[in-house]
Amino acid sequence: MGRAGLAGIVAFAVGLTTVLSLLLGNNPALFGDQPGSEELARRLALPGDVLLRLLVIVIALSIVIGIVNLLYIHIGRLTRGKFYSAVLLASFAFTIFWLTVNRGDTSLLEAVQVPIESALAALLFLSLALGGARVMQKRADIWGLLFVAVVLSVLLGSLPLAELAPVRAFSAWLLAVPVSAGARAILLGIALGTIVVGVRAVLGLDRSYRG
Amino acid sequence: MDDTTLQVYSVVFVAITVVLVYTARYFQARRWRQRQLDGMKRIPQWITQSIESSRPLHLSFGNAGVGGDNTPVALAEAEFFHQVVRRAESCDMSPVVSLSAPTSLPLGQDVLRRAWLKGGALSRAQWYPPDLAYASAISALMADDEPAAHIMAGSFGAELALMLDSAARRGQPSLAVSDRLDGQAVAFAQADHVLIGEELFAAPGSSSQDGGGHGDAAVLDVWRALIISGATILLMLEFSKRLPLLSWPLVAIGVAILLLLGIFTVWRR
Amino acid sequence: MSEEFNWLDYAEPDEEAPAPSARPGLRRFLPRRPTLPSLPGRPRLPSLPSIPSLPRLPRLRRRAQPALDKPSAADLLSVHEERPLDELDDRLQSLRERAVASSQPEAEARQALYDVDELLAAPEILRKPGGVISAAALSKAQRQQVELLKDIVGAPQAGDASVSRIRLSPPLFSLSAIPRIIGTAVLLLMASLPFVSSDFAEGELPPSEFHEDRHGPTTLYNLLDNLTPADYVLVAFEYGPTAAGELDAIAELFLRHIVAQRAVPLIVSSNPIAIAHAQNIISRVNRSVAFSGESLRHGRDYFILRYLPGGPLGLRELSENFADVARVSYKGTLTGLQFDSLDDVTYVVMIAERAEDMRNWAEQVAPQLDRTPLLAASGYAAAPLAQVYADSMDEIVGLVVGYRDAYTYAEMLEANFAELLRDASELGSGSAEASPAKIDEQPRNEAAQAERPLATAVPPASAIPPPAVAPLPTTTPRPPNTETPTETALPTATATQQMISVVEVTSPRQVRIRRGPTTADDILQLAQAGDMFQIIATNGDGSWYNIALSNGLDGWIAGILVEEKALSMAEFLGGGGEASARLSDERVYLRREWSLSLGKNRPRYYQSNAPITGDIPEYVLMRDRSAEVPRLRAMTLGTLTTVVTIALGNVIFALSALRRRQRNGERK
Repeated sequence: MGRAGLAGIVAFAVGLTTVLSLLLGNNPALFGDQPGSEELARRLALPGDVLLRLLVIVIALSIVIGIVNLLYIHIGRLTRGKFYSAVLLASFAFTIFWLTVNRGDTSLLEAVQVPIESALAALLFLSLALGGARVMQKRADIWGLLFVAVVLSVLLGSLPLAELAPVRAFSAWLLAVPVSAGARAILLGIALGTIVVGVRAVLGLDRSYRG
Repeated sequence: MDDTTLQVYSVVFVAITVVLVYTARYFQARRWRQRQLDGMKRIPQWITQSIESSRPLHLSFGNAGVGGDNTPVALAEAEFFHQVVRRAESCDMSPVVSLSAPTSLPLGQDVLRRAWLKGGALSRAQWYPPDLAYASAISALMADDEPAAHIMAGSFGAELALMLDSAARRGQPSLAVSDRLDGQAVAFAQADHVLIGEELFAAPGSSSQDGGGHGDAAVLDVWRALIISGATILLMLEFSKRLPLLSWPLVAIGVAILLLLGIFTVWRR
Repeated sequence: MSEEFNWLDYAEPDEEAPAPSARPGLRRFLPRRPTLPSLPGRPRLPSLPSIPSLPRLPRLRRRAQPALDKPSAADLLSVHEERPLDELDDRLQSLRERAVASSQPEAEARQALYDVDELLAAPEILRKPGGVISAAALSKAQRQQVELLKDIVGAPQAGDASVSRIRLSPPLFSLSAIPRIIGTAVLLLMASLPFVSSDFAEGELPPSEFHEDRHGPTTLYNLLDNLTPADYVLVAFEYGPTAAGELDAIAELFLRHIVAQRAVPLIVSSNPIAIAHAQNIISRVNRSVAFSGESLRHGRDYFILRYLPGGPLGLRELSENFADVARVSYKGTLTGLQFDSLDDVTYVVMIAERAEDMRNWAEQVAPQLDRTPLLAASGYAAAPLAQVYADSMDEIVGLVVGYRDAYTYAEMLEANFAELLRDASELGSGSAEASPAKIDEQPRNEAAQAERPLATAVPPASAIPPPAVAPLPTTTPRPPNTETPTETALPTATATQQMISVVEVTSPRQVRIRRGPTTADDILQLAQAGDMFQIIATNGDGSWYNIALSNGLDGWIAGILVEEKALSMAEFLGGGGEASARLSDERVYLRREWSLSLGKNRPRYYQSNAPITGDIPEYVLMRDRSAEVPRLRAMTLGTLTTVVTIALGNVIFALSALRRRQRNGERK
């Protein structure tokens, strides 16, 4: 058996254990009123809990890999004379230095990151507004029109102007019925896809196991 | 519905999916007609442009990462990107894969590794911190690397607007889809091409020559049809209860009309 | 199945099959080549400035002119035999090798690559006047390639005057950017006008109380207003610096409301930056408190717990192993907090930036809460989905949305606490009650403070019975009884044999106590199975009971959820004769305060076995609110301008699309 087969088997075993443990564990009702059912349910939950805790640790550590990747790429770009990479690396070094000198200090966060991200959020507003103004440029059809109409109604409905009270009622209905239905349909579709791909991954059929 | 009932239903649902997945794979789903996803029409042309102009393609996972609730999104997009990258392998420039969930970094590198064994390609899977920081990093990348096109399929929020706006200003075409509703809305409004909802998961199947990929898309189609018909029937039943005018024969006629419409649509395809 | 698919060896078995449209009858169901859609028409080229065409075509390109069946550069190179190979650049050589390798035999390869027709179809750019180079947007790498190609084919060098005219990079400014710049400028101008002048007062300010139809936010406010000292409230900061502008206000108000009642917030987050940001909000609260030395201190007045990695998995851990999570602070030190489960905190308050955060909390945490309600606030972006969760799940109470609701919340809070302050001063300094205003002038009892935070969430064995009109405490942890009382105490727990009518909650689920005898009335408080309340009255048909609550107020509870009983006062207070015996050697202190929490000025009682230094209106009243009104006006004007921009832009684009279609129709 090659590496690929082994990876598939490990994936299958781990996936199945977790799924079964989550479904059967901590649910004594499944095993009737026998005396040992609670203990059994508790024990069944254990493997799933252990595996999920391991996963949480892996996820927490993966941020380190991300930072190493970021530095590696930008050091590489620096050698090609990219200005922004130099800024990034310099900021990284400065922040590390600052936090080493002033342990636990969050003033950099407050003085630099919050204003910058707030400014970006404002830019995002401009992008959204101008993007919204160009919907018909890309989709000059009934769907584009519908999209723009809904956007305008909801925006108008959110305005605190007394004259717009009827629009407010209409936009509340829009949000509560058609928009909510559409959103649920999209989420349902995504949930379906999630299950199919999840099954494929648990069964070891995903390409990433094939080495 | 209590927890136990819910769990039993979940198990049945997953079991049926497993059976469907294996059945579809067994028959390689060749007989199942693939849905044509309009949003993907331009991808071959982008690949050609990328090859001819030596500009990389930019493939983005967004915040989809392994381990979170959007793990399947990350896996499905890895497969999709794999299909794209294989077609672009005669390009001089390796595609750039960007992501903001560090756990999908191995997936991104894997996508590149399979097609690009040349040096330096692995460093083109790039992580940036999530959300707006990611969006601004990608905008910078658009200026620096001048990608031929952007395929942004994964998990994005409203920050997608910044990226798509940047791409549009630079004349770089884009395809976008997100598993988050705000990102999906932005994609619809601003991307040149868009996939919606479960097309995110059907994309790998419809771009692949692998029977398995087709099989998964076929399973999705079956479930989709079942859910739509189930919801329609339930809706009709509900209406028939509310309105005395709607009697059983009327419901039956309604269902028949819907069925005919469905058959007609399939026949048209 | 696990074998890697070899796409080069892949050949469709039915290559000879007729074209799809020609398939008759059942053959339609035969396998068919999965084709990607064919190459659509002329691509819309980027709106780059037009680049003047090259004065002469490179020789390579001219030679290739008749061979348009070999459309790609790779194909061209594969047949370009005139130049010795070793003269070619490495890059071109490798491209040529790949091209040769992949095109032998060409027919087979084309068959093998099922979508090769689309893949290697003649790029549209070839048809563009001006040739292959000018049609594409040229990157730096491309420009080098252009130079290289010109070098190979002997084109004029860069010094040539005719070539130097070629503008290869987009200019700094393009005319097409003008509408964009105007749109941005107008949006920015309109949004900043209210900060400059008060003349632009468009739109109404948010109301000073939540609209009567919105029970969620009202309930949320009422529940937080019913906190008693040393209650623990889990506050989840699920937003990063991006949403700080929108959600800081509500987060700060929640914290101020909680700490002003001497309850203890436990801050937690699955976003590491949010944890650091929470610290900054606490510092902001501290900065605004008037007198020095009374600032909130970590480990005493509030706790910031460790970061929860793994998104939904982290939240799962929080709900299942809360004892572990609460044990460690964000600095990695021990907090000394001991909880059994999440139900030991009084409320869980969650502030979400994204709909996903709301979903994660609703799916991972809320189902694990048996008694504790989850109070939710969100930004505008997350509101539509968050509202669905708030409406459909019993465990989730209220949804306070965005900056406008924060304004209303602040108005309610300040009305309440300002009233409290005024009433206290009206009572006069000779009053027997502990006056908050008086307390504020004195430094607080540090010893009492030091005792409090280490209180465990499990009520001590000598749980103090409530004052005469209160239900039995079931969830509220109490501080240990070590202090000698210094304030005037009102002995209230005098056991009597007088019989009273009470209701005991029998419903296994949480029961809502409302302001009036209908389900449409606001929720004042929640009760659990086993809680008992003294009956004040019933409604006409006896389906609702008017009951006395612990905070001096009264509320209504539905008759079907409770059982009516007659108890002696002693039984009601102590849960039995034994308890009343125990009471005799303990002294219970009742502090009376005034609040306007429900629109009426009512006394409010805190039970305590140690003197508590009282509410601290400074935490609420010293907020800087100067920018709130202009900001709300700016939001209104900005939204209005956005509506106009979107409408105008789309009308223009729709009209131009119509004209284009019309023109195309005429041409046909």
